[in-house]
Amino acid sequence: MIGLAAARKKVAEILASVRKDGRRELMEFESKQVLAAWGVPVNKTELARDVGEAVGRAREVHYPLVLKIASPEIIHKSDVKGVKVGLGSEFELRQSFSELIDNARAYKPNAKILGVTVQEYLPPAREVIVGTLQDPFFGATVMFGLGGVWVEVLKDISFRLAPLSVDDAREMIHELKGYPILAGIRGAPPVDMDALIDIIRKVGQLAYEFPEISEMDVNPIFAFDEGKGAVAADARIILGESK
Amino acid sequence: MKSMVKMIKNLSSMFNPKAVCVIGASRKPGKIGHEILKNLINYGFGGKIYPINPEAREILGLKAYPTVKSTPTKPDLAVVALPAVYVSEAIEECGRKGVKAVAVISSGFKEVGNARAEGQIVNLSKKYRMRLLGPNIFGVFYAPSKLNATFGPPNVLPGRIAFITQSGALGIALMGWTISEEVGLSAIVSLGNKSDVDDADLLEFFSQDPNTEVIVIYMEGINDGKEFMKAAKKTVMTKPIIVIKAGRSERGARAILSHTGALAGSDAVYDAAFKQCGVIRTSTTTEAFDLARLFAGQPLPDGDNTVIITNGGGMGIMAVDACKDSGVTLMDIPKDLAAKFRKNSGMPTFGSTVNPIDMTGQIYEAGYSGAIKTALSDPRVNSLIILYCQTAVTDPKMIARAIIKTLKENGAKKPVVTSLVGGEECRVGIRELNRAGIPSYSEPQRAVFVIGAMHEYARYLRKRKK
Repeated sequence: MIGLAAARKKVAEILASVRKDGRRELMEFESKQVLAAWGVPVNKTELARDVGEAVGRAREVHYPLVLKIASPEIIHKSDVKGVKVGLGSEFELRQSFSELIDNARAYKPNAKILGVTVQEYLPPAREVIVGTLQDPFFGATVMFGLGGVWVEVLKDISFRLAPLSVDDAREMIHELKGYPILAGIRGAPPVDMDALIDIIRKVGQLAYEFPEISEMDVNPIFAFDEGKGAVAADARIILGESK
Repeated sequence: MKSMVKMIKNLSSMFNPKAVCVIGASRKPGKIGHEILKNLINYGFGGKIYPINPEAREILGLKAYPTVKSTPTKPDLAVVALPAVYVSEAIEECGRKGVKAVAVISSGFKEVGNARAEGQIVNLSKKYRMRLLGPNIFGVFYAPSKLNATFGPPNVLPGRIAFITQSGALGIALMGWTISEEVGLSAIVSLGNKSDVDDADLLEFFSQDPNTEVIVIYMEGINDGKEFMKAAKKTVMTKPIIVIKAGRSERGARAILSHTGALAGSDAVYDAAFKQCGVIRTSTTTEAFDLARLFAGQPLPDGDNTVIITNGGGMGIMAVDACKDSGVTLMDIPKDLAAKFRKNSGMPTFGSTVNPIDMTGQIYEAGYSGAIKTALSDPRVNSLIILYCQTAVTDPKMIARAIIKTLKENGAKKPVVTSLVGGEECRVGIRELNRAGIPSYSEPQRAVFVIGAMHEYARYLRKRKK
């Protein structure tokens, strides 16, 4: 991890470049670059503009891997069949690459497509979300919730205002109705609480230091068993109207 | 940055003025400028009172002055009850005279879209370094200086609860309610449009006010959440803050793009803020004042163990259900303590010593005294809920008196609440208990709720002090 001053600089650079591009939404790989610079663990995510580059990236990321479409105009990648999980070989990778591009074209013929992201595959884990928003009265507000992509159905969530103490973050986890799922039921070990606390606090701090981040979803986060950490598998950062 | 010390000091002269002027004092009963002056006089304010009215010589037996300028001494507080168009002129005059605080009763400002006029009076008060309360308020009350500069009820009971309200009408209504419920208040402040003095300022003042032990706020919205949290975080270390938060403030027309944005109602954010700074939120005014009464009358618990003493099984069961909802930890009664409860209360053999301690309907005053003494003297017990069902063989008034006497004689160092359920005689008992500083309620759930909230506050403090 880089130092705090360097992290601040790096984040500011990424946000500025997105603004310069006339966008208010960071693409997944950009959001993950921000998080990684800020010390939040993310799965390895590399942009590949063509199939050759994808094959090259795959060697760094290692099989099996995940392939996702990369376009600033496609937000919900799964909805357009823009995600492939668990690709085990170069053959599968090449096949999937053209499939993803075709699917995206079918969905939106004129969409600007950057290529794909080649991503590290994560083994199954309990999924959680950490998000932020800027409240008009209280400023940076952090949300923690259970269920990753199902969060809006489960609505099992808790809130605190940034900056967060370790106790604040721990309480956010304990407050969930589904806390026993994270603590471990039916013989399952607990998830890595310390790793979650660390992510909640860091994400909160990021929103606190960069009020121009109007909304952020780090979702899903794969919470592995105790001692094995937690890793963000997807992320969205949205910037406020520029002043 | 403006001098904070001076600003607080000026706020303090709003509560402890040596002289008050009422600008717009009126001879006509029913007029606001008349009622405020009448309350000031009748509540026994000890300082000088100057009615300001260019057309009157005398109002309610006091010499009237045509202008603030013409008063013989400098008023520290000016209460302004003029139509909105004349307010800025009056404030300018106050500033020139050296008035330290103005309470602007008048409406017709931001609340009706007239932000310009409000900005004007704020600027004027800043220019002269005066504190501005309001506009759009019903006044300010402070028991220690016998200052009732409101057009609310005249006979507020003095006590140790400060009440801050953003709503005028509800505030006046609650003033009346505290009188009939015999809730004593140290202060009542109507905040109105909060153009200058706001919740955070008042927390700062009341946290240092030796006459206030607990602060109740009726809040609709907040201007600066971070300032409030900072002030609240500091204040709660010495005095509990209870907030009745109503209304869902607008988040503005913002396009929501994320899961987080979709899931975060502004109410959830307020909840989070209150939790983080140790503020207790209630959903009703009854809950708020029930709780305030407990904090004003009883010490904080050292630990989480609660014991319930009752003479009726049904009431005990209801209380146990409520304990679950209110986060009250019912103590597992150890064998030795169970034996003591049995012996000292003199309960019949079919009584129960599994918490709740059910002494049955055959018990009299002596039984209550014995059980209470047992609970008070055991260091493992941290708080006590005493329940009573009216029976044919007991008089609620006598039971209430026995409770008061026992607690007094044993110098209770742990919080005790009571609930008396029954007819008119129970009301009398409840009243006597409340007057003795032992909170008493007509329903067991209310007693359980307040004890639960007090334990939560005590846990928060222990965590912060750690």
